[in-house]
Amino acid sequence: MQDVMNSNNHDTALAMKFSITKDKLVENVNHVMKAVSSKTTIPILTGIKITASHDGITLTGSNSDISIKSFIPLEENDEEYATIEKTGSVVLQARVFSDIVKKLPSEFVNIEVDSRLITRITSGSSEFNLNGLDAEEYPRLPLIEEGNVLHVRTDLLKHVIRQTGFAVSTSETRPVLTGVNWNIQNGNLNCVATDSHRLASRTISIDADENAEYKNIVIPGKSLNELSKILDDSSGEWVEIVITESQILFKTKHLQFYSRLLDGNYPDTNRLIPTESKTDIILSTKALLQAIDRASLLAKEERNNVVKFRTLEDSIEISSQSAELGRVFENVELQSLEGEELKISFSAKYMIDALSRIESQEIRISFTGAMRPFLIRPVEDEGILMLILPVRTY
Amino acid sequence: MAEKAILLVDMESFYASVEKADHPELKNHPVIVSGDPERRSGVVLAACPLAKKRGVKNAYRLWEAQQLCPEAVVVRPRMQRYLDVAMEITDILEEFTDMVEPYSIDEQFMDVTGSQRLFGMPSEIAQKVKAAIKDRTGVNARCGIGPNKVLAKIACDHFSKKNDTGIFQLNQNNIKQCMWPLPVGAMFGVGSRMERHLRRLGISTIGRLANYPLDILKKKWGINGQVLWETANGIDHSPVSVSSHEGQKAIGHAMTLPRDYQNFEKEIKVILLELSEEVCSRARTSGVMGYTVSTGCQGANNDSPAGFYRQTTLVNPTNHTMDVFHEAKKLFLKFWDGQPVRRITVNLSHLCSDKVRQISFFDDYELRREIGYTMDRIKQRYGPDAIIRAISLTEAGQAADRAKKIGGHYK
Repeated sequence: MQDVMNSNNHDTALAMKFSITKDKLVENVNHVMKAVSSKTTIPILTGIKITASHDGITLTGSNSDISIKSFIPLEENDEEYATIEKTGSVVLQARVFSDIVKKLPSEFVNIEVDSRLITRITSGSSEFNLNGLDAEEYPRLPLIEEGNVLHVRTDLLKHVIRQTGFAVSTSETRPVLTGVNWNIQNGNLNCVATDSHRLASRTISIDADENAEYKNIVIPGKSLNELSKILDDSSGEWVEIVITESQILFKTKHLQFYSRLLDGNYPDTNRLIPTESKTDIILSTKALLQAIDRASLLAKEERNNVVKFRTLEDSIEISSQSAELGRVFENVELQSLEGEELKISFSAKYMIDALSRIESQEIRISFTGAMRPFLIRPVEDEGILMLILPVRTY
Repeated sequence: MAEKAILLVDMESFYASVEKADHPELKNHPVIVSGDPERRSGVVLAACPLAKKRGVKNAYRLWEAQQLCPEAVVVRPRMQRYLDVAMEITDILEEFTDMVEPYSIDEQFMDVTGSQRLFGMPSEIAQKVKAAIKDRTGVNARCGIGPNKVLAKIACDHFSKKNDTGIFQLNQNNIKQCMWPLPVGAMFGVGSRMERHLRRLGISTIGRLANYPLDILKKKWGINGQVLWETANGIDHSPVSVSSHEGQKAIGHAMTLPRDYQNFEKEIKVILLELSEEVCSRARTSGVMGYTVSTGCQGANNDSPAGFYRQTTLVNPTNHTMDVFHEAKKLFLKFWDGQPVRRITVNLSHLCSDKVRQISFFDDYELRREIGYTMDRIKQRYGPDAIIRAISLTEAGQAADRAKKIGGHYK
């Protein structure tokens, strides 16, 4: 058997050859794996495209919504990552390739592809021979003309995603609500997400052309979630963002992240945000979060996860009861209370979701009645806003 | 813990007995209660003991029954009357204990553990219950007694119905000798399919099941295997629950059509809407909404079964007729093969209370909710046909006709 293999090797030319440090390879394979899905209508997309060029190695993964390109330079900061012996490219079955590289025994990996696309992966005492696919058949990523480029600091972008992405709808009944709506105007980026029961909005100022104006950019919540996972916020880098008609591209030094945009008009959410208030309270974010969290322990059985809330003299009471389990009362002290007394019921889950994404120590909650949405905002920061619709009890 | 005393009270030939009680002149005549002979539902719903003696059984075609017993008096069912009598019987049982669970229209469980000082031994209570029902409704009742519901039920089905006193008690002392020799198919919880499976394992009697290794049963059927084994050993932990309705898992309605329906727009859609209305109206009455809508149909030909049964789950629960109708319609268009349809089902499950509802930014549920409850109130006050959807007046509609019926039979 060995002989046959060897004799065959004589007939086949080398199509690609490089060696790379295992850690760097694993890290970048993990990045592009975020875009690879086993459920795809284009079989070759179950693979990862590997391209070795003179300046480094590029990995590409893609599904119909997201495409990710991750680049490994030959060396960086005096550290050598890879050496190229022959440039070329191949597509390897993603799931298997990713599992293999994670478990390889040595800290270096050699990858060698012959003209039949048989890919030999060696590392220490281990040797794999995988059947590769022709990289020419791999779909080209969307060409994006870099006209208007926006710049956002990586850590800020991750923040914005965390503070809005959680509120997207998980149901396909209204597809546009599964995305986060971005609007860019006057050097500000406003992001809004709602699942029709609660809404999260965050505005930041960004580094962009004064005249840059984009409306109704709806980015799938899933895309942003994946993007956030692979962005490294410790680097202090900036992310470049390019927006086109149907695609958005996020670019860092070594990463390109493409996402499809959602079709359809995002509803006008400005009109949902109440402009007046009948009851205004200021209290500690943490104290409220913990009280709601405890009260929800007895509210789990109902899907709505409802807790009751009412204002007292200088505190609020949160209560919940379950016919089978019992009841709970929580008291949270207020910094201030203005306006009418109030009794309201709402989903503990929505409240916890919103509070856990506000960093500020104190929040202001503005109510306009038991059946109207209420507004949660950090006391000092106008840029973030959470809106929750109550639960109606009959 | 003291042993419980559970009674299962079963009404003999319930519908027929009510008819005989209401019509003393029929006392010595065989009586058959049967659906409307002019429509397909011409089957025997109940036969009095005199008719049963001649070989008439429930669910026989009416003409078959009449061949066996030509002089039988055939009576149309009056469902409302039977419901009323069943409620009356519940009232009687509640004079003995506050723990009464109506199990079906003619069977009710009662927990008399705490009633023995007042009314005597379980067997004495059974006698008093029987006498009271006979005296006040004219219906003959039988009682099974056991330390739990399962044994009470088996005692009633297999012994009380066959002996002269109409009372039988099963407990740990006599299950070996009385219950174990029974065929395994006679056990509560064993249907024809499960019986086949058990017989394949060589389990032909309840006794064999009781002595079969528990681990094998558990491995084969999981928790259900354990329940079967426990039942065979006379073990059952389920309480007599006063309000069985609270644990209700689903609300469903099925309609058998007077003829084959094949046209979706003109016929089937109408029935789907009518069924959705009935299901939602019941959901509203019970104060629940559901997350899951399922629908299905059966073909006309029983020999080559056709049809489907599919479900879909919504993001927000509903008991609004049009919501359920739209989902049922979508499912039907997706899964129906276009063959003639004779029976259609709509079902709402995964229920939750409709006393709490998460408000939405984009959907005004309030209005839709009010329409439903308003229609219900009109029907309650002026009768079920006081307000019906216009489409139900088309040829395919059944609502007007069904308004006169309960469970597909005339009130």
